[in-house]
Amino acid sequence: MTLKRVLVVDDEASIQKVVSLSLKMEANWDILTASSGEEGISQAEIHAPDVILLDVMMPEMDGIATFEALCNNPRTQAIPVVLLTAKTRTAEKRLFQKIGVSGVITKPFNPLTLASQIADLLDWPL
Amino acid sequence: MSSNLGVCNSSFWHKILEPQPLAFSSQAKLSKVLGQMTSEPEHGCVLALHRRKVVGIATRQDLLQAMVQHRDGPQLRLSQVVTRPVITVSHADLNDVAPLLEQFARHRISYLPIVDDQQHLLGLINKIDLLQTIQDQRTTVQLRRQHERFQLFAEITLKIRQSLQLKEIFHTTVNEVQRLLNADRVLIYQVLPDGTGQPISESVVAPYPAILGYSFPEEVFPEDYQTLYAQGRVLAIADVHAPESGLADCLVEFIKQWGIQSKLIVPIVHPLQPEQSVGDEPLRNQLWGLLIAHQCRSPRQWTEFELELMQQLADQISIALSQGQMLEYLEDRVKLRTAELTQANWALHQEIQERKQIEVALRQSEEQLRLITNNLPVLIAYVDDQQRYRFNNQAYEYWLGQTPEAIYGMSMEALMGVAYYQAIQSYIETVLAGTQVTYESELTFKEGRSHSVSVTYIPHIEKGGGDRPPQVKGFFALTMDISDRKAIERMKDEFIAVVSHELRTPLTSLHGSLKLIATGRLGHLSEEGQQMLDVADENTDRLVRLVNNVLDLQRIESGEVTMDAHRCDAADLIVQAAESMQAIARQQGIEIHTRLDSIAIWADPDYIVQALTNLIGNAIKFSTPGDGINVTIQPYFESALPPRLSNAAFHHRPSLPAMALFCVQDQGQGIPSDKLNSIFERFQQVDSSDSRKKGGTGLGLTICRKIVEQHGGQIWAESQMGVGSCFYFTVPLIPPSTT
Repeated sequence: MTLKRVLVVDDEASIQKVVSLSLKMEANWDILTASSGEEGISQAEIHAPDVILLDVMMPEMDGIATFEALCNNPRTQAIPVVLLTAKTRTAEKRLFQKIGVSGVITKPFNPLTLASQIADLLDWPL
Repeated sequence: MSSNLGVCNSSFWHKILEPQPLAFSSQAKLSKVLGQMTSEPEHGCVLALHRRKVVGIATRQDLLQAMVQHRDGPQLRLSQVVTRPVITVSHADLNDVAPLLEQFARHRISYLPIVDDQQHLLGLINKIDLLQTIQDQRTTVQLRRQHERFQLFAEITLKIRQSLQLKEIFHTTVNEVQRLLNADRVLIYQVLPDGTGQPISESVVAPYPAILGYSFPEEVFPEDYQTLYAQGRVLAIADVHAPESGLADCLVEFIKQWGIQSKLIVPIVHPLQPEQSVGDEPLRNQLWGLLIAHQCRSPRQWTEFELELMQQLADQISIALSQGQMLEYLEDRVKLRTAELTQANWALHQEIQERKQIEVALRQSEEQLRLITNNLPVLIAYVDDQQRYRFNNQAYEYWLGQTPEAIYGMSMEALMGVAYYQAIQSYIETVLAGTQVTYESELTFKEGRSHSVSVTYIPHIEKGGGDRPPQVKGFFALTMDISDRKAIERMKDEFIAVVSHELRTPLTSLHGSLKLIATGRLGHLSEEGQQMLDVADENTDRLVRLVNNVLDLQRIESGEVTMDAHRCDAADLIVQAAESMQAIARQQGIEIHTRLDSIAIWADPDYIVQALTNLIGNAIKFSTPGDGINVTIQPYFESALPPRLSNAAFHHRPSLPAMALFCVQDQGQGIPSDKLNSIFERFQQVDSSDSRKKGGTGLGLTICRKIVEQHGGQIWAESQMGVGSCFYFTVPLIPPSTT
């Protein structure tokens, strides 16, 4: 399996830990974490991850605003973004797809299949 | 000759006495006399005078005869041809015509000279003139008497007819007859049907006793007498004691007590009433009674006039009786009619009272209804089929600032405004087509704020009759302010959304952590520890599903999400749902079979997949290892309904347009028939322990129903205990708008 670097942006530390452990265990990917949109952008600029798992509902700068900032940033605009969200309805999904995210994974997710879901969305071999 | 014609007054004599008869000296020549007679042809004779005394008389005929018999007739002297001595009458004897007529008769003469004491000529009386005058005088007297009788009769008749009361008529009659005839007693005697009788009215002068009050037995007036009187017999007896009176001695003795010397009896008859006639017998006269006059002071010869008067008055009494009977009949009719009218009037009065009471009750009822409608916090209106307001309650003024009086007759478009009217026009058309309709909208109140309202239109349908179909006359419009309810619903929705979201975050961590631990790759647990971990993991899964379902249901019910329907292939949706559940099914040893026909449906694929997934998940839960689950799709028309669906459990299923019919069939334990409908209600399960045993949330079927209804479809279940269950739902084949 190709080593991938994944940036997890979520204001909930427990989510960060579960996602990190899940992806480490299932796919042995390199995991970076950030607790806010601003920190996520900064980490992305520094580490240029292969994918950013971005929580939508965050205080101050939410996931949509963070995504737009990433898109507008030449250094991060090429990094695929997968949203992690509790908002799962059709209209919301369409909105997310319209703005150009690579995929949407709803919470609560299955930690045993999370890596394969991400790989499917990005056409990564597992 | 009647004595009253004998003695004549001076005018009579003046009328018949010719004061200047033709008279000549007795020595006058006949030629002269005849010449004079020729020029005065009215003179029938000529008198010869000598020293003013009448010495002879000659008629025109005597003179002419002398002229013919004698050759020198014209030269004859009057004295030669006259008759002498002359019969004359003294002026002093001109009191009575009888001596004159006797003279004319005895001497067979035609003229009588009238002379004074000196035998001087005073005039001449012509026998013919005398007789003519006497005749004229007699005729005049008769006419006068007749006139007097008529006048008298008319006066009595008038008095009689001044009353219609029989008693008064009888009384007047007896009084007037008594006065007129100067009789001592006049009475009216009534003959009763049994032959007896009694006086019913009497006028008697003192000192003679009254008969009134006596009743007479039949013997006094036997039937053969009655018959005679009924035929018009009149009995006038001048002296009751005279043998020629024909009265029996006993009767004469009987009537002595009333001092009767003479009597005049006339019958009072009048036609029998129709009801008294027998069979076809023509109407005949009935003897009703007698009009009787008595003379007590002396016997009396009754005159023709008196008889005639009595008869005529008896006829008048008869007429009065007829009129009295008619009056009595009319009075009876009037009484009867008056009674009927009184009764009708009373009934009418009663009816009016009842109507008044009803009107009062109606007014009270109307007042109560108006009080109720005006105090309800709801807009209530009645709109006619021309969409004009015919009733509005007071709330229109409170809410919209328009009084009911101002709104009456106004069109809906005028009151609501064009934009609002266009928005609700389809609902108005629906209710005027006879279908009740309810919708929600926003209405701006008089203070300028927009309020959420729920509006219901109920058609007012007049029942048809005969060939006439039912007709929509208008509709009732009820508008409720649901702003508060809407606000509460929004708060509830927001609360659920927040809570659900806030639950998801810790759940995600919990759920993920347990899953990772359960892999054993983070270290092994003891057997009991592993069991507890499995319990925690399963219940976390269940909690996740519950939160997801609560959130889904809330979003659908709140209208936050709408079905994003478009054309899609039903077979693809079944494949997606089946695949997502395949792994779980295999874990349970259950096979999912699909029979796929490519059918284009008009639906939101995500929601249809969710419904199918829920139904398949349910089927797995209630199946046992080795069972199979069939998922199928087919076009659905009424006639294409599978025979086993036509049982009574689904008789209420509505007729639908062309739809696609999904079916998820299992071989589970089955559902009792009384639960087939309730299982679609939230938290309603066949067995309350199922949710715990099977890990269900109690919301899956409710969500399925909401999804299907949002698509305009229907969902239902059929089951046989011990055999299995079928869950059906329909979705439109083509967009509903094009149907």
